[in-house]
Amino acid sequence: MGTSVQVTPLCGVYNENPLSYLVSIDGFNFLIDCGWNDLFDTSLLEPLSRVASTIDAVLLSHPDTLHIGALPYAMKQLGLSAPVYATEPVHRLGLLTMYDQFLSRKQVSDFDLFTLDDIDSAFQNVIRLTYSQNYHLSGKGEGIVIAPHVAGHMLGGSIWRITKDGEDVIYAVDYNHRKERHLNGTVLQSFVRPAVLITDAYHALYTNQTARQQRDKEFLDTISKHLEVGGNVLLPVDTAGRVLELLLILEQHWSQRGFSFPIYFLTYVSSSTIDYVKSFLEWMSDSISKSFETSRDNAFLLRHVTLLINKTDLDNAPPGPKVVLASMASLEAGFAREIFVEWANDPRNLVLFTETGQFGTLARMLQSAPPPKFVKVTMSKRVPLAGEELIAYEEEQNRLKREEALRASLVKEEETKASHGSDDNSSEPMIIDTKTTHDVIGSHGPAYKDILIDGFVPPSSSVAPMFPYYDNTSEWDDFGEIINPDDYVIKDEDMDRGAMHNGGDVDGRLDEATASLMLDTRPSKVMSNELIVTVSCSLVKMDYEGRSDGRSIKSMIAHVSPLKLVLVHAIAEATEHLKQHCLNNICPHVYAPQIEETVDVTSDLCAYKVQLSEKLMSNVIFKKLGDSEVAWVDSEVGKTERDMRSLLPMPGAASPHKPVLVGDLKIADFKQFLSSKGVQVEFAGGGALRCGEYVTLRKVGPTGQKGGASGPQQILIEGPLCEDYYKIRDYLYSQFYLL
Amino acid sequence: MASSSTSLKRREQPISRDGDQLIVTPLGAGSEVGRSCVYMSFRGKNILFDCGIHPAYSGMAALPYFDEIDPSSIDVLLITHFHIDHAASLPYFLEKTTFNGRVFMTHATKAIYKLLLTDYVKVSKVSVEDMLFDEQDINKSMDKIEVIDFHQTVEVNGIKFWCYTAGHVLGAAMFMVDIAGVRILYTGDYSREEDRHLRAAELPQFSPDICIIESTSGVQLHQSRHIREKRFTDVIHSTVAQGGRVLIPAFALGRAQELLLILDEYWANHPDLHNIPIYYASPLAKKCMAVYQTYILSMNDRIRNQFANSNPFVFKHISPLNSIDDFNDVGPSVVMATPGGLQSGLSRQLFDSWCSDKKNACIIPGYMVEGTLAKTIINEPKEVTLMNGLTAPLNMQVHYISFSAHADYAQTSTFLKELMPPNIILVHGEANEMMRLKQKLLTEFPDGNTKIMTPKNCESVEMYFNSEKLAKTIGRLAEKTPDVGDTVSGILVKKGFTYQIMAPDELHVFSQLSTATVTQRITIPFVGAFGVIKHRLEKIFESVEFSTDEESGLPALKVHERVTVKQESEKHISLQWSSDPISDMVSDSIVALILNISREVPKIVMEEEDAVKSEEENGKKVEKVIYALLVSLFGDVKLGENGKLVIRVDGNVAQLDKESGEVESEHSGLKERVRVAFERIQSAVKPIPLSAS
Repeated sequence: MGTSVQVTPLCGVYNENPLSYLVSIDGFNFLIDCGWNDLFDTSLLEPLSRVASTIDAVLLSHPDTLHIGALPYAMKQLGLSAPVYATEPVHRLGLLTMYDQFLSRKQVSDFDLFTLDDIDSAFQNVIRLTYSQNYHLSGKGEGIVIAPHVAGHMLGGSIWRITKDGEDVIYAVDYNHRKERHLNGTVLQSFVRPAVLITDAYHALYTNQTARQQRDKEFLDTISKHLEVGGNVLLPVDTAGRVLELLLILEQHWSQRGFSFPIYFLTYVSSSTIDYVKSFLEWMSDSISKSFETSRDNAFLLRHVTLLINKTDLDNAPPGPKVVLASMASLEAGFAREIFVEWANDPRNLVLFTETGQFGTLARMLQSAPPPKFVKVTMSKRVPLAGEELIAYEEEQNRLKREEALRASLVKEEETKASHGSDDNSSEPMIIDTKTTHDVIGSHGPAYKDILIDGFVPPSSSVAPMFPYYDNTSEWDDFGEIINPDDYVIKDEDMDRGAMHNGGDVDGRLDEATASLMLDTRPSKVMSNELIVTVSCSLVKMDYEGRSDGRSIKSMIAHVSPLKLVLVHAIAEATEHLKQHCLNNICPHVYAPQIEETVDVTSDLCAYKVQLSEKLMSNVIFKKLGDSEVAWVDSEVGKTERDMRSLLPMPGAASPHKPVLVGDLKIADFKQFLSSKGVQVEFAGGGALRCGEYVTLRKVGPTGQKGGASGPQQILIEGPLCEDYYKIRDYLYSQFYLL
Repeated sequence: MASSSTSLKRREQPISRDGDQLIVTPLGAGSEVGRSCVYMSFRGKNILFDCGIHPAYSGMAALPYFDEIDPSSIDVLLITHFHIDHAASLPYFLEKTTFNGRVFMTHATKAIYKLLLTDYVKVSKVSVEDMLFDEQDINKSMDKIEVIDFHQTVEVNGIKFWCYTAGHVLGAAMFMVDIAGVRILYTGDYSREEDRHLRAAELPQFSPDICIIESTSGVQLHQSRHIREKRFTDVIHSTVAQGGRVLIPAFALGRAQELLLILDEYWANHPDLHNIPIYYASPLAKKCMAVYQTYILSMNDRIRNQFANSNPFVFKHISPLNSIDDFNDVGPSVVMATPGGLQSGLSRQLFDSWCSDKKNACIIPGYMVEGTLAKTIINEPKEVTLMNGLTAPLNMQVHYISFSAHADYAQTSTFLKELMPPNIILVHGEANEMMRLKQKLLTEFPDGNTKIMTPKNCESVEMYFNSEKLAKTIGRLAEKTPDVGDTVSGILVKKGFTYQIMAPDELHVFSQLSTATVTQRITIPFVGAFGVIKHRLEKIFESVEFSTDEESGLPALKVHERVTVKQESEKHISLQWSSDPISDMVSDSIVALILNISREVPKIVMEEEDAVKSEEENGKKVEKVIYALLVSLFGDVKLGENGKLVIRVDGNVAQLDKESGEVESEHSGLKERVRVAFERIQSAVKPIPLSAS
């Protein structure tokens, strides 16, 4: 019987919220994507928090906030502890995206949803796969194979294929069928007839995507027009996703035109991003890897782009028109927001949006038509405390410490009373389960928090925190002290480790400024003030989102023609539109569940395996049709030695079966074929083909069939009794195989 | 093309053993080192592993024995790594033979392959006729080479394959091929020891049925890497400390990068050495540095972690050296130079000027080919011949510290024990070493279930694999799981090596194929009463139903539930039916009949009388025909009592009941023959059953 498949959206259906879906296959729970938005709204994660602990594996598809943003928070706060699977670029660039998010937030608010350490630990155990790598899960997921495939939207971006017992569940969101400068188009169309396809309807209503060349021309023209009149150009971008394509376009154009206007790429992690991207050539488009193979010319060796990691560098840059790509794309935080506020009131400047801003963000507001004349912006800034404030802060801190110490000593007294004799864990001071550890630290109170090293647990019986003391109880025998020879062996790995240590930070590189920000423990506060920003600069939006448009989505789904289709991530109208379209034209099972609504997409497909005996196969005559070969079999069921069903030839003559014509007739192709045979053909009205003088041929039955997805083809050939008729019928028969 | 011809061949062969034949033939590297090229064929699929040339020969003699195979039949060619003896005949094979399959190698291999071969063409000093290919061929071959990433599964014509890290050089891969469930692992050159930049060869997660494995190191055991590294750095340190010069002749790519990493790190840890320069004299290696700096991801975690801070292949203490003219030979220095064999070039020039000073040292870092100066000086002769023909005393110290990344015996045997392949084929090893390895391995697998083979070049190894063909019955056909004796009929769809059986009307659901129904409608001019047609049809066909068309109210006839005959107008009759051979035939006869009515009315009456008669005559006729045919088949056929036919053949007697078709005979062979013959005769003389559906 079929594999049981249930899909439960946790976030991101009937709207443009971040993506997060629970897909359960025979009881094994996959969390596919774990996104958050730029507003970091915790209410969005409520559905996730209810199921986080039951999740067995997490699959990530793209390295941007909408697809991975909630991972650190979920790991830290919601009890998500499953292994995470992603491609190498999604892992690396995702990590950098989260760093950038955190640092941007920290700079302007008391951001406490997650810390850099949380990000590191969330990404530490990501299992990295390459495209088309079939990874066999073990343990609870035995028999399930997962594989990422090219999605074409972002570097390393994946559509996921989950296979069990030969049935495919495909998760494909935000794919792009068009080839770009740095990415290949998606391979989604290479999958046919999966049991389930989970896809987004995000762009279902979006059509009129301009051709790439024209779009690039407009893009560059707009930029250079503003530069030439002395204006600055700001492109709010994401940290490490779509920005790569923009960088390449600008870089290419600048070297062709020999422009001298500087281009700055400003995020907290820009230099690391580009360093990593340079080593991801094997994930990029064929043309990029080809140019590297033949001329060792790394496309991301950017000659015209200056990488900046703090705003001061930009302020110190020589004045004059410039192009700045800065994060975040939503203008909710990051350098882009600061720069926008500074530049917005100069009409010579240009703010060029390359993607639709997330719902409810400043970017989205500015993209509305007509653009607002004024926007109210709350600008926050972290400033070190000084003067009276600093003194006040220090006093406050001291007072708090004193208070806590007092309280702690009271608590401790009580606790010693309580714990006295009940449980004495002083005998093994270093082995304490986490719960007690917590209590112990609590008991000593935050008074000592500053001086206690992480992981250090003072014995609970001691009055003050102290290092554990061990008696040197070495044993002696006739030959002297008994030693463990292993302690004295010089380990091979030590050499490696030594070498690694001079390397330093193992977790990943952070830029210097970033590091200084992290280490900056000076007391500081966040100052906020509301500004009214006059928007007199030009606002332009162009589509560099790298997603397929509505038409392509439809034809892609029609081509894949899944047995069951689940639609997610789009506003209600788009979802409904695509649902209706698919119901009418592609498949009868289309689902668009609400949040936390579980849809059961278990295939009602029956199947069993049989062995094909050699005797039977030697009598089967295959006919080749495209990739596959077909034949009619009549057989009798027998058993093999190993109790497997096997098919044997029929003992007697098989009862005759209804003949089947196999083949896919395309009227246009057939027209060409006929004219090559010297038959006069032309299209008559209503899709009919007039062959010769009298004979007409047409497809009948339900219209709009694509790839024969919704049933057998019905072809009608009619004409008067004449020689031509039989000739054309023969030609028509030659297009099919009769079984 | 290729697959059909071979699959035909298979069918002609009597199935002598269980399963299908799998052939492995080394075209090169069979009991030798160099020109790796192994051909494999199974179930009509042909694969070639590697395509190298023999470094010791030149011209056509250096090629693998390509004549043994038909290049056009090869489906896939897989290249494990960029070394000359594994990849260098590729431009020749791609451009000068009929090969038109697909070629795969890893990204890093492809990038270095071009540089290396271009350099190879430039430096190989052979006559133009002996040139196997030129730079243009290399450039053209680049377009045909496809890239594969580690672990990425690729499927070509039903052949599935993917690759694992091999640890030999950057981008080196071991290929696992899966044809119809039979798995073959080809290791190429591999090393199970992690070094400074490369990962150790992975252990595949599936055990292969056949493992084609290298045997370069034979039964040797390597020293531990750390001891080798320490010897290496100690020699260098002490030599330069005494004011001597160190020459390291090395092959430009592969191990050289490892040595440079060791040196750079050693220098970084020893500030006292910072005034002593390290030169690295290979323009080719310099070019390849960009590749090393880029494909960091195919290296080990150590390098990747270092990369988090700075690119380890951007050396701080090593400077490139283009030619000896740029080299200012004052005081101690360390020079790594090509070629590795000291045959000529920069390494030889430096050797000549340094060899007589006993303060200097020369370190040979790897396996050296017989006949080169580097091999000679390992034995520390008293004198050497310089390039100018003079002899000079060999006073410099010579050290042989092997850093070659081939698996040693310990690695090979543990690797094989983990995998437990039932068939092991040894290639890429010197014949004697290989025999020793085989003997020693046989003692490791004493149970006798493991076959170890050492074919020579062009010697085929044949194996048989039970190719159980499994099909999945899906959809409506599978609603009920059948029991023994039930029948299963449907469309069998074969794609690659997977089979599916399905009902015809579900073909479009489960495959990309679709079915079609062709409805035909023809109009025939006919003037006359519709009743005539009806009457005539009733005479010929068993089932003719009369009805009236609902829309037009015109009379219509349905013949055998297949063909509808309708009177469209006063002058026209229309026929409509859905195509299949029987309906086509029925309709043809109806057409003929209608045409006859309108043309030769009187004759019809005659025929009509005949038709009535024939009803009775038919039975007799049939009997006559059956009898005549049986006589022509068996000779002695008589009408016995109780209406049975008695057939005698060679003294055996069979009795045939004409009515039921039952045969009685003591001889089972004859019985079967008579039964089949009678069945066939009956189906030939009896009317075609029209009720088939």
